[in-house]
Amino acid sequence: MEIGSSTQGEPDPSDRQGCLPLGIPMKRHTKGNFHQTAAPLLFLLPNILIFGTFIIIPAIQGLRMSFTEWGVFTTPKFIGFDNFIELAGDEVFWKTFNNTIVYSFFTVALIMVYALALALLLYKNVLKGEKIFRSLFYIPSLLSMITVGIAWRFILGDEMGIINYLLRSMGGDGIRWLTDGKLAMVSIIAVSIWAQAGYYMVVLIAGLQAIPIELYEAAKIDGASAPKTFTSITLPLLRSTLLVVLVLATIASFKAYELISVMTKGGPGYATKFIVQQVYQVAFLEDRMGYASAMSIVLMLIISLFTVLQFKLSGGEADHE
Amino acid sequence: MKKVIVTLMILLLATTAMFAAGTKEEGAKKDVTLSVLWFNDANESDVFLKTMDDYLKANPHVKLDLQIVAYNEYDQKLKLMISGGNPPDLARITTNTLSVVVDSLEPIENHVADVEAVKKQYLPSMVAFATNKEGKFIAYPTEATANGMLVNKTAFDKAGIDVDEVSKTWTWSEWETIVKKVIAANPAMKYGLAVDFTPHRFSTLMYQWNGRFLNEDQSNIKFNNPGTIATLKWFKHLHDEGLVPKSVWLGSENPAELFQAGLVAGHIGGSWNINTYNKNVKDFEWKAVRMPKGAINSSVPGGKFVASFKGAKNQEEAFKLMAAFADKAHNEMYSRDTFNIPSRNDAQVTYPSNSGDFEVFLEELKVTPAYTANEWKNTNLSKVTTYIREQIVEVLLGNITAEQAAINVDNRGATFFK
Repeated sequence: MEIGSSTQGEPDPSDRQGCLPLGIPMKRHTKGNFHQTAAPLLFLLPNILIFGTFIIIPAIQGLRMSFTEWGVFTTPKFIGFDNFIELAGDEVFWKTFNNTIVYSFFTVALIMVYALALALLLYKNVLKGEKIFRSLFYIPSLLSMITVGIAWRFILGDEMGIINYLLRSMGGDGIRWLTDGKLAMVSIIAVSIWAQAGYYMVVLIAGLQAIPIELYEAAKIDGASAPKTFTSITLPLLRSTLLVVLVLATIASFKAYELISVMTKGGPGYATKFIVQQVYQVAFLEDRMGYASAMSIVLMLIISLFTVLQFKLSGGEADHE
Repeated sequence: MKKVIVTLMILLLATTAMFAAGTKEEGAKKDVTLSVLWFNDANESDVFLKTMDDYLKANPHVKLDLQIVAYNEYDQKLKLMISGGNPPDLARITTNTLSVVVDSLEPIENHVADVEAVKKQYLPSMVAFATNKEGKFIAYPTEATANGMLVNKTAFDKAGIDVDEVSKTWTWSEWETIVKKVIAANPAMKYGLAVDFTPHRFSTLMYQWNGRFLNEDQSNIKFNNPGTIATLKWFKHLHDEGLVPKSVWLGSENPAELFQAGLVAGHIGGSWNINTYNKNVKDFEWKAVRMPKGAINSSVPGGKFVASFKGAKNQEEAFKLMAAFADKAHNEMYSRDTFNIPSRNDAQVTYPSNSGDFEVFLEELKVTPAYTANEWKNTNLSKVTTYIREQIVEVLLGNITAEQAAINVDNRGATFFK
């Protein structure tokens, strides 16, 4: 029996209010017990203020604005659910929605696989030059997406790009990396993975290094194969880290803006245009702040839905263990 | 005695303090830092500062806080500053931006005695752009711009074509034949023409084919008209034939870079490209030529302005500075050093080079119908131009027909003309 766990039929002492897990009675909060009541709140206050000012209040304002017709220089006019009704029939919005889902699905899935593969290769400190490789893979995540986009435009450009220049100088034809709709999406996904995987690799390396080495030694003694060890030890114990990576990568992919703006401007046509680009266009170029707010609310709901779903799925797996 | 000394000391201190305070107050009144929002096509901010150097020396109390913003971020930044109640004291503005912020601009007539005399100093098209719907003059024109064609003369020469001669009267179908010969004679050259990835430059071709964005009285969008549909089809034909690089309209590659790399025979862009090419092109000879004729000859007029805003903190000083910047001497200097067409009627500019190229752009402006300026002045049109650009690309990709694109634009555009 574990220390602190309850005996059958007897209530767990730790469940009782005012007790620590080992059954030691907790000190009751008193009026003068400042350290245990007000102090933590005070420490949290700056963060709460910043979060409230820059996230919560604008989000509430955004929700309010989504029910209005509002240009930057006009007074908002309440129009009920009209923006959301229009959104339901907006062909361009649903195209961008579809593109966002495709981009997010492939980017997140491939980032997970690629970052995990890199982490598995580089976490043990047994390869020569491992730290250099870690740095090399991590550096792109330190660059701004605008810089990344500009650099890759130089590489993938149809006429002025380095790759096509090399291909043509060898007698071949150029590849339409950014002017063919499907290839443009593939290019954007590939560059996104290149730019972000290093960051998630570091997170996963931390997760891998936290797995006790004894478990691997025991598996080795038991004669477990490498794939069996991976599926029975590594993956289950890395699950919480993978969940963090999954949620962060999903949120980032739904908010992708700079890279696409620089590399393709959402084109050709609508091929790589995502919801965020459409929100920007509607808000700042078409001057329809209310309608853009409605789009943002829908985007927020989608991201929230995916995040909750990911947490739920992960929680479900935990129950089976 | 002690008392007298103490009293004298107190008096002395009080007097000194009083004078010191007075001087400080007077200094605070005089010292003004004007916030200036600016963007560059080439080197305009440097030239602006150089041009205003004498004014700033003569007015040492005026300082400039010059914020240079990338053009593609410019409108958004300016709109947010205005809506946030913190507009700059003055800003450089294009005709496009003018249509967006027109209601926030401070009329010049509130700051000058005779606004009609001021208006008479400028080109009529520039005055038209800078006049709001109440008829108030709201911005000082600084330079006139026009869309036109710049060609790689060396490439035409290699093909044995005298581009000066043929361009005097050529039509678009003649251009097509000629440019195919130019491409054939220059192995490194791949395309005949690059057109900037903007509806403004597309409209140059559209106006030449008798197309329009708006209806006659400009009360609604009317993209669905025979001229516009013909232009869309013809523009697609040029792409399909490989005469225009797909990488510009489908991949947003910079057409000026393609021209400078010698990959295209011609470039339809703004007159400010004269400045850019003058600096950058060293490998071949280039020049401005008249654009081929469609149904008519036409360019699209445009311009740049400086203006101040309602609620700007230092309006008085801002207007003094703008008036000085827009006077004859400063306008000539600025136009010469930025290689721009002057906005004033009385400006006499001797460019260090390329005078002939400016003449060509001015010739284009002279034959340009007035409705082109009026359309681009329309605030509601500016809200639908991004969608128009997307629909043009959809046609080029073959995803929709020209007719369908025109219908789509009219449907979307109508929401802004309610």
